[in-house]
Amino acid sequence: MTTYLSLGLEGSANKLGVGVIKHTVTDANAENGFSTDILSNIRDTYITPPGEGFLPRDTARHHRNWVVRIIKRALDEAKISDPTKLHCISFTQGPGMGAPLQSVVIAARTIAQMWGVPLVGVNHCVGHIEMGRTITGATNPVVLYVSGGNTQVIAYSKQRYRIFGETLDIAVGNCLDRFARVLKIPNAPSPGYNIEQLAKKGKKYVPLPYTVKGMDLSMSGVLQFVESLAKRFQAGDLVVDGHQVTAEDLCFSLQETLFAMLVEITERAMAHVNSQQVLIVGGVGCNERLQEMMGIMARDRNGSVYATDERFCIDNGIMIAHAGLLAWRQGFETKMEKTQCTQRFRTDEVLVDWRV
Amino acid sequence: MITLPEQLEKLSKQENLIAQGAESLVYSAQHPYLPQQECIVKYRPKKPYRLPELDAQLSKHRTLAEARVLQKLALGDVEVPHLVFIDAKNGLIYMEKIEGLSVKQWIWNEEGDTEGGAQEAGDKSRSLPDGDVSSLKDTLVLVGQEIGKLHKSDIVHGDLTTSNVMLRDGKPVIIDFGLASVSTLAEDKAVDLYVMERAVLSTHPVHSQQYCDWLFEGYLAVVGKSQKEVMRKLEDVRQRGRKRSMLG
Repeated sequence: MTTYLSLGLEGSANKLGVGVIKHTVTDANAENGFSTDILSNIRDTYITPPGEGFLPRDTARHHRNWVVRIIKRALDEAKISDPTKLHCISFTQGPGMGAPLQSVVIAARTIAQMWGVPLVGVNHCVGHIEMGRTITGATNPVVLYVSGGNTQVIAYSKQRYRIFGETLDIAVGNCLDRFARVLKIPNAPSPGYNIEQLAKKGKKYVPLPYTVKGMDLSMSGVLQFVESLAKRFQAGDLVVDGHQVTAEDLCFSLQETLFAMLVEITERAMAHVNSQQVLIVGGVGCNERLQEMMGIMARDRNGSVYATDERFCIDNGIMIAHAGLLAWRQGFETKMEKTQCTQRFRTDEVLVDWRV
Repeated sequence: MITLPEQLEKLSKQENLIAQGAESLVYSAQHPYLPQQECIVKYRPKKPYRLPELDAQLSKHRTLAEARVLQKLALGDVEVPHLVFIDAKNGLIYMEKIEGLSVKQWIWNEEGDTEGGAQEAGDKSRSLPDGDVSSLKDTLVLVGQEIGKLHKSDIVHGDLTTSNVMLRDGKPVIIDFGLASVSTLAEDKAVDLYVMERAVLSTHPVHSQQYCDWLFEGYLAVVGKSQKEVMRKLEDVRQRGRKRSMLG
């Protein structure tokens, strides 16, 4: 029995996360021949005032200010007194916002040299998928990855996570965030969470554009349309079918429309690859209405849905630690001179050689 | 004749189910007027996950759109199933049964990958089997030509994948027009091609580039003078896909 330890650093958007994971290998020849222990999972989110998004420079400053403290807390909680015992330092190499990625990779390079531990660059999306698979026990699911910057339907084939469907323009989380800004919905804990709470009180469905293109979808038109409705609502003259539309109704209609589109493309991908399992990952994935809709769809196909809660759905360091350790155990290492971050890093660029 | 909901009740037995698509169930059935002829019924069941208002609107719209497109294409030279009968309220379309394999399954068979590409891992560097190259090429060029003819008729399919093209006696037949629409815009056709390209990339990853080249060879051979604008737009759409900021 061998144990491995990895510390993961994530900072591709407005969350700074550090986590320590332990793999205990019982059968080195089997794909699933190990158990996973989460020793610590610390996160700090940069929150902006209502009506504002987070800008790269300010987000990077937040990460720089907090990264040392968060790393210390993660090590303390994991009860690691001697960090030179770590097997690798995993960091998010992309995709994400440039400046925040840069500030975190500098921290990663520094501690790697201080402690003499190898670095492993991780694709953020692969981190989400691997963590989701491990936590839920889904073996070979169709993955819906929905967050502020990503909307993809993914399935594994021949050592890569292949993108079957994705957004043709903006991501679903971005669409929700930008709608929240128009209505000045607070950004704490997250705009999506607040929209979800408001939507629960919505009753009147206001028709919105519905733009699905096969397994792909488009959301910029929906956003523009709902933004114009929100502005009319603020001006006090939004009446549909003789019904005075409220902010709650708009949140409800937007969620119902976007999520119906997401469930539809996921179902199309499941039919296309003959799969019965769905795994939802990414920040939008902790929305309970989305999970519920996906569950109904999966049930009608005699399948099942797997989802995680905010600890693992929302960006975190532990998923980076986990995916990094999986790659490191296959002999992968990112040499110091190859540790530049990249804003564009496609999910299907990563060789997933830890799966058969 | 039996009324449709009754008919559906009789049909919707497991043994008649041919396929469960993303939004429809396909049953084999008797032709409503010509009992000796076999046909299929495509039924869009209610989707309980979405709001009833939205669901009703989508089902009706798509059933009607599919029937309209099939009817329009019946007069042209694109190979599609014949429309037999439609009941939009109940979300039912009767159409001709196409015998044969989907192009997806056929390619997997040709590649010797019987269990399905997305579900199975294999070696990465396998080359195309020599003997099959010409039949793969010929078939995919034909598929490309069929898509070209479709676009030339100003129909955009909306879900071009290798699952949605069947091979009947080696000749491609395009099916499933649930997301189809009439459009003369180069942008819409370009998105259609982009969706196809991406579907090939994900479904047949090992030789996707070669397959796409063959599809485009056939496509460009038939579209004629509108091709320049469509291909230019396709470049735009590809860029949009690539440039999409990927945060999160």
